[in-house]
Amino acid sequence: MVSTDRPTRGYRVFQGVNGLVLTGVVVVTLYPFVHIVARSFSGERQIRAGEVTLWPKGFNLTTYKIVFQDGMFWRNYGNTVFYTVVATAVAMLLTTCYAYVLSKKHLRGRGVLVGVAVFTMFFSGGLIPTYVLVTSLGLKNTVWALALPNAISVFNLLVMKAFFESLPDELEEAAQIDGLSTYGILLRIVLPLSKAVVATMVLFYSVSFWNSWFGAFLYMDRAELMPVTVYLRNLIAGATGGTGAGAGTEQLTQAMANIQAVTIVLTALPILCVYPFVQRYFVSGVMLGAVKG
Amino acid sequence: MKNTGQLSRRQILAAAGFIGLAGLTGCGSGDDGADAKDLSKKREGAMQEYRAGQPFKATEPLTFSLLNLSNPVYPPKAGWLFWKELTRRTGVTLKTTDVPYSDYEKKRSLLIGAGDAPLLIPKTYPGQETPFVSSGSILPVGDHIELMPNFRDKLRRWKLEPEVDSLRQSDGKYYLLPGLHERVKSGYSLALRTDVLGRLGLEPPSTWDEVYEVFKAIKAEYPDRYPFSDRWNQPEPAGALLQSVGQAYGVRAGWSYLNASWDAQGEKFVFTGATEKYRQVIEYLRKLVDEKLMDPEGFTQSDDDAVKKLLSERSFAISANPQELVQNYRYNLQRQVKGATIEMIPVPLGPAGPVVLGGSRLENGMMISSDALKRDDFVALMQFVDWLWYSDEGQKFTKWGVEGVTYTESGGGYRVAEGITLMGSDPDAPKDLQKDYGFYNGVFSYGGSWELVSSSFGPDEKKFQDAMSQREELPVDPAHPLQSVEQEQATLWDTPLKDHVRQNTLRFVLGKRPLSEWDAYVSELKAKNMDQLIDLHNKAYERFRKEHG
Repeated sequence: MVSTDRPTRGYRVFQGVNGLVLTGVVVVTLYPFVHIVARSFSGERQIRAGEVTLWPKGFNLTTYKIVFQDGMFWRNYGNTVFYTVVATAVAMLLTTCYAYVLSKKHLRGRGVLVGVAVFTMFFSGGLIPTYVLVTSLGLKNTVWALALPNAISVFNLLVMKAFFESLPDELEEAAQIDGLSTYGILLRIVLPLSKAVVATMVLFYSVSFWNSWFGAFLYMDRAELMPVTVYLRNLIAGATGGTGAGAGTEQLTQAMANIQAVTIVLTALPILCVYPFVQRYFVSGVMLGAVKG
Repeated sequence: MKNTGQLSRRQILAAAGFIGLAGLTGCGSGDDGADAKDLSKKREGAMQEYRAGQPFKATEPLTFSLLNLSNPVYPPKAGWLFWKELTRRTGVTLKTTDVPYSDYEKKRSLLIGAGDAPLLIPKTYPGQETPFVSSGSILPVGDHIELMPNFRDKLRRWKLEPEVDSLRQSDGKYYLLPGLHERVKSGYSLALRTDVLGRLGLEPPSTWDEVYEVFKAIKAEYPDRYPFSDRWNQPEPAGALLQSVGQAYGVRAGWSYLNASWDAQGEKFVFTGATEKYRQVIEYLRKLVDEKLMDPEGFTQSDDDAVKKLLSERSFAISANPQELVQNYRYNLQRQVKGATIEMIPVPLGPAGPVVLGGSRLENGMMISSDALKRDDFVALMQFVDWLWYSDEGQKFTKWGVEGVTYTESGGGYRVAEGITLMGSDPDAPKDLQKDYGFYNGVFSYGGSWELVSSSFGPDEKKFQDAMSQREELPVDPAHPLQSVEQEQATLWDTPLKDHVRQNTLRFVLGKRPLSEWDAYVSELKAKNMDQLIDLHNKAYERFRKEHG
């Protein structure tokens, strides 16, 4: 009994060392983030001189101002939010339905359905045929061009299928006896029990839609339809390409010095804010899928 | 249900692939034959009499589609005065597909490949049109320049025919309307700390030998520092410097390096990286590095590091262009080093005398989709392109805008109007000529007469360009277009050879390989199919000369 109340000396040493090592890992992981944030608030001269490490030096908001003052930035930011929400909703709906169907062992032709999905993991139609398809379906310049082609990620689908398979069959049998229809079982029994995997999938999908730029770059023809990722990508190219000098000299040199830091902060921030809330589910969700799958 | 849904998705994909292919091949066969030249049915909206120097105005409202590069410095806005005034003057409305600057080339290839390209495809550099030629989706514009009096007029007056001939493909036609410059506009040279030169009683050097002497004098004063530490090392190490030194020896090096170059005396193509001139360039740079006049890191470091060294006085010279000189070096030096002055010198001369490399009077230009020829307003389209991109009036309009509104003109000089800034000329002005009005936009405004081009130079650039424009332009390489199979073969040989030249240039210059191994280096190039590549170019040259004179 004593030993459980008071850990042995060896164990305490281990804990101490463990704590130190893990703190080290945390520092190593956090350092780049903190450095980028510090850089984004620093003056151009201090950045050039390499003085900025963990704390902003020569506090300066010029680049943020350049980015914020541009109406297009806000417009594109709004697009990103809209595209992410719609695309994630569509993706969740389709992936959940598909995965649930696939998790039923008694389904005939299940092997073919899995095969169809897995096939697309290894082979794709190629850039130009896909573009022609999306264009001829009239999806260009709409949110559907982004949401539909990427609606089912096969990896996510398989993780989800494995999770559904891990639920005991007896549960569904009981629900069936109590008179629930197939959809009733999915909505009232299975999904409430699957919050972990649903949260994980929402996170996976929304992060990938938030960060993606290529689809929008392909299918959007007007600057005001672009998501913020394309806007920032273009901004970085312009600031480092050295071709255009639109802003005043002082502003421009400042922007060139920390535009990358500013853009990273601006794009990463919202998604970073989501993590703490989903993390609880995230860990258990990924583990469950992994063990079974 | 799910099953059939999935299968049909695959079927759609397959079908779309075939449609895409069919579209591509369809484009190829659409525009040849006799009716291509009969334009009488394609004159909708066109002017009956359209001559050089005459304003273009469509006889009925027309709309053309345009691939529009969205520059982050001045992203396109629907409210630009440019669009409104363009439609008012010409009756033409442009329907744009905006493409971010960062990935313009990717989207251009995709749209052309998918058969979905707009009619006008600007911002295409000479050579970039070649991959699209065999698909037939690009119009051989050279066949239709009789519709473009201003373009022809400038070709003739500025003697640019040989340059344009160098754009011809293996079928003898050219597919790109290049931007045209009356005189060579140079971009890069050396910038030196003139206050240091003054203190040491030195004149700014005008030849590379003088550059060497000046560096030696600086080294004597500061033995622990490198007089020269360079930048622009990606993707070519010291791309700008090698180009400048190469020019002085009359050889393409650095940024302008090409494997095959024309040997006027031998009347054949030779391999650039194995020529005596190229070796001399390497020898010169080796001397600078060997005597510690140039920082060896100057061939590999990042631009930022190079500028840092300049600003902290660990070096006194660096490659420059007029923008970097004013906005970066001078601006930052003045804040960090008291009394520092820095100037850009005209590209130092060498054995080749006062010359500039050939072909530098062609700018990026425009491809036209072959769909244009199927339209009833084809003639009007060509007249419109001719006026907006190639007439003096059109070029003045795209650069400076509307007289009295965006600019004023007096005595041949142009100034932006009160309250408007251009590239930071008046930081307090509320409006910007590019951002708020849409003029001086790289999609529409490039090249032109020397008067127009030089009208926006700052004092430094003016001095530099005036000196450079006195120099003689080396003749362009004669046309030697490869056929598409040859082109593929050449690409396979080209890249490894280029890489080998690049790596060994660096090793020779840095002294990691002694120059006595030059012959071994040449045999290595031979092992990498140097001779076969050059044969290919020489055969293409002979064939083209026989077929097209």
